[in-house]
Amino acid sequence: MKNLLQKSLKQITIYAFIVFALSIPSYFLLVDWIWLKELDENNHLIAERIENEFNEQRINDEKLAESIKFWNEIQPSSKIVYAGQPLLKDSLYTTRRKNPYASREDVIDRFRGLKSNIKINNRNYVLVVETNVEETEETVAYIAMATLIFFLILVIGFWILNRRLSRKLWQPFRDTLLQLKSFQLNSQAQIDFQQTDTIEFAELNATLEKLLQHSIATYTSQKEFTENASHELQTPLAILKNKLDILLQGDDLTERQYHIAEEMNRALIRSARINKNLLLLAKIENSQFDHSALIGFDTLLVQIMDGLQPHFKEKNINLDSDIQPDVALQGNSGLAEVLINNLIINAIRHTLPGGAIRVGLSKSRFEISNSGIQALDPGLLFTRFSKMSADNSGSGLGLSLVQEICRLHGWQVTYSFENKEHVFLVAFSATI
Amino acid sequence: MKILIIEDEKELAKSIAEYLSAEKYLCEIASTFTEAMNKIDVFNYDCILLDITLPDGNGLKILEELKRENKQDGVIIISAKNALDDRIKGLQIGADDYLTKPFHLPELTARIYSLIRRKQFNNSNTIKQDELEIDLWAKTTSVNSKPIALTKKEFDLLIYFIGNKNRVLSKSTLAEHLSGDFADMLDNHDFVYAHVKNLKRKLTDAGCEQYIKTVYGTGYKWEG
Repeated sequence: MKNLLQKSLKQITIYAFIVFALSIPSYFLLVDWIWLKELDENNHLIAERIENEFNEQRINDEKLAESIKFWNEIQPSSKIVYAGQPLLKDSLYTTRRKNPYASREDVIDRFRGLKSNIKINNRNYVLVVETNVEETEETVAYIAMATLIFFLILVIGFWILNRRLSRKLWQPFRDTLLQLKSFQLNSQAQIDFQQTDTIEFAELNATLEKLLQHSIATYTSQKEFTENASHELQTPLAILKNKLDILLQGDDLTERQYHIAEEMNRALIRSARINKNLLLLAKIENSQFDHSALIGFDTLLVQIMDGLQPHFKEKNINLDSDIQPDVALQGNSGLAEVLINNLIINAIRHTLPGGAIRVGLSKSRFEISNSGIQALDPGLLFTRFSKMSADNSGSGLGLSLVQEICRLHGWQVTYSFENKEHVFLVAFSATI
Repeated sequence: MKILIIEDEKELAKSIAEYLSAEKYLCEIASTFTEAMNKIDVFNYDCILLDITLPDGNGLKILEELKRENKQDGVIIISAKNALDDRIKGLQIGADDYLTKPFHLPELTARIYSLIRRKQFNNSNTIKQDELEIDLWAKTTSVNSKPIALTKKEFDLLIYFIGNKNRVLSKSTLAEHLSGDFADMLDNHDFVYAHVKNLKRKLTDAGCEQYIKTVYGTGYKWEG
C-alpha cells in the first residue's frame, strides 16, 4: 500500500522524465540548427572577404596562381580552385574528418562547409570554406547532462514538496480518520470534525457527519424501541401470569387442564425472563446505570455462592473456590450480582452431575471454570440468542448480559477451553 | 384486612383483587393517582399495593404522602420498572417491599401475608397451626414445642406455603420463588421437588401432621 501522494508523485515523475527525455533531441536539433545557420553566415562572410581581398591585390595572373597555391597550403579551412565554368549555385555541406594533428587516432571533427563561386581577375574560381562545428555527440551529451541535473532538481523538489503537502494538506483528512477510528456507535460520544477550508474535506466531513448522525439516530431509536417494547410487554405478561395463577386455583380443574396450565406457566416464566433480560440489556446499553459506587466483590461472590449451595449439592458438583478477601471494585452492585449469578449458574447448568467447578477471585481477576467435554465457539458464545446446547431453558441472554456489564465497567471477559475445562475470565482493569 | 390496589391496568388490578379476595382480604382498587390520593386520605389500609407509573402522577409521590402523614399502612411497590434505582428509592422513602412485574399471585400473597404479620405482631410474631409453631422473628420452627432445624430455603418455603394456605402451588411457581430475583436460567424442577420432600420429611419426622399435599401429580397445597 502506498499513500495517495506517493502514487501521484510516481506518475508526475514518469511524466517529467518523458518530457525531459523528449526535450533532449529537440534542444539538440535547435542548437544544431542555430549553429549551422550561424556558421553558414560566417562562411559566406569569409568567402566574400577572400574574394574582395584577392581582387584588391590587383596582381597578375601568374602571381595570383602562386598566391592561391600558397593560400591553399597555409589556410586549411579554405581552398581556392580554378574552375572553367562557374558553379550554378553555392552548396552547403557538413563533413567529418579525422584530425591529422591530434594525438589520438579516433578524434573526428565535424566541419560545416561552403562551396561558393568567386571571381578573381574575372576568372572563375571555386572557393571552399570550412569551419569546425561542435560534434553532435558532444552537444547531445552536454544537453543531456544539463537536462538530467534539472530533472533531478525537479524530482527532489517534488519529493520535498510532497512530504510537506502530505503533512499540511492532508492534516484535516487525517484528523477525520482518527475521529472515525475511535468512534463507537454505542459510546454515545458526539463526533466533532475539525474545521477545514478545503472544499473536498469539508464536503467529506459534512457527508460523514450526516451519515453518523443518521446511524446514531437509528441506533438510539432501536435501543429505545427495545427498551420500550420490553417495558410494554411487562404488563400483558403480568396479566397472563396472574390469570394462570387464578386458573390453577379453580375447583373444577381437571389434572389434564392443570398440566396444560402449568406448561403455559413455564413458557410464560421463560418469556418473562427473556423480556426482563432484554430490558436489562437495553438499559445497560442506554447507560442507565451508575457504576461509580464501591462494591465488595468478594462479599457479593460469597453471598451468591452460599445462595446457590443447594444447586451445587443437588448436582453433586465438586466446588473448589479460592476467593481473596477485600476485593473492592468500582461498579454497580446490582449489575455485578447479575454478572456473578449468570456466570455461576451458567457453570452449574452446563456441568454434568459429578463434575467440578472452580471459582477464583483476586484483585485483578474473577475466574470461573467448569469441567466440560469440548470447546465452545467463543465467537457465538456472547451473542444474543445463540444456542450453544440442546438445553433451551435459558433466556439466551445470560452471557450477552455478562459481556455488556463488563463493557460498562471497563472489564474484559474472555472464554477459553483448557484441560477439559470451560474457563470464563473477567479481568478488572481498574482495581482500587 | 383491607388492601388498596393502586394500579392503572384494570385487568391486572382485577386479577389481584380476585385472588386476594379468596384470602378474606377486602380489596379496593384505585386506578389513578388522584383516586389513590383521595382514598389514602380518608381510609387506612393494612396493605397498599402501589404501581409507580400511573397515568396522572408518580406512585412514589403517594408513598411520600403516606410517610408525611405518618400512616402505618404497609406498602408493597409493584412496578414494571426493574431499575435498581427505583427499588432503592422506593425502599428509602419507606416502602416495605418491592415486586417486579410480571409476578406470580402466590408470591404477592406470601409477601402481603408476611408484611401484615410484621406490622400487626410487633413483639412476638408467631404463627401457630395445631402442633406447628413458627417464629417469624427468630426464624425458628418447632413441632410440639420441640425445635426442628430447617435450612434457610426450607424455612422460606414453609413461610411461602403458610402464606398461601389452601392454594394450589405449581412447581414452576415454586421454582421461580426459590431461585430468587436474579437467578436466571435455573428453573430446575427436581430442585423444587427435593426441597419440598426434605421439608415434608423434617416436619413429619418431628411428629407434625402432613399439611403439604400433592395435587394434580406435580403441584402442592398446604392444607390447614
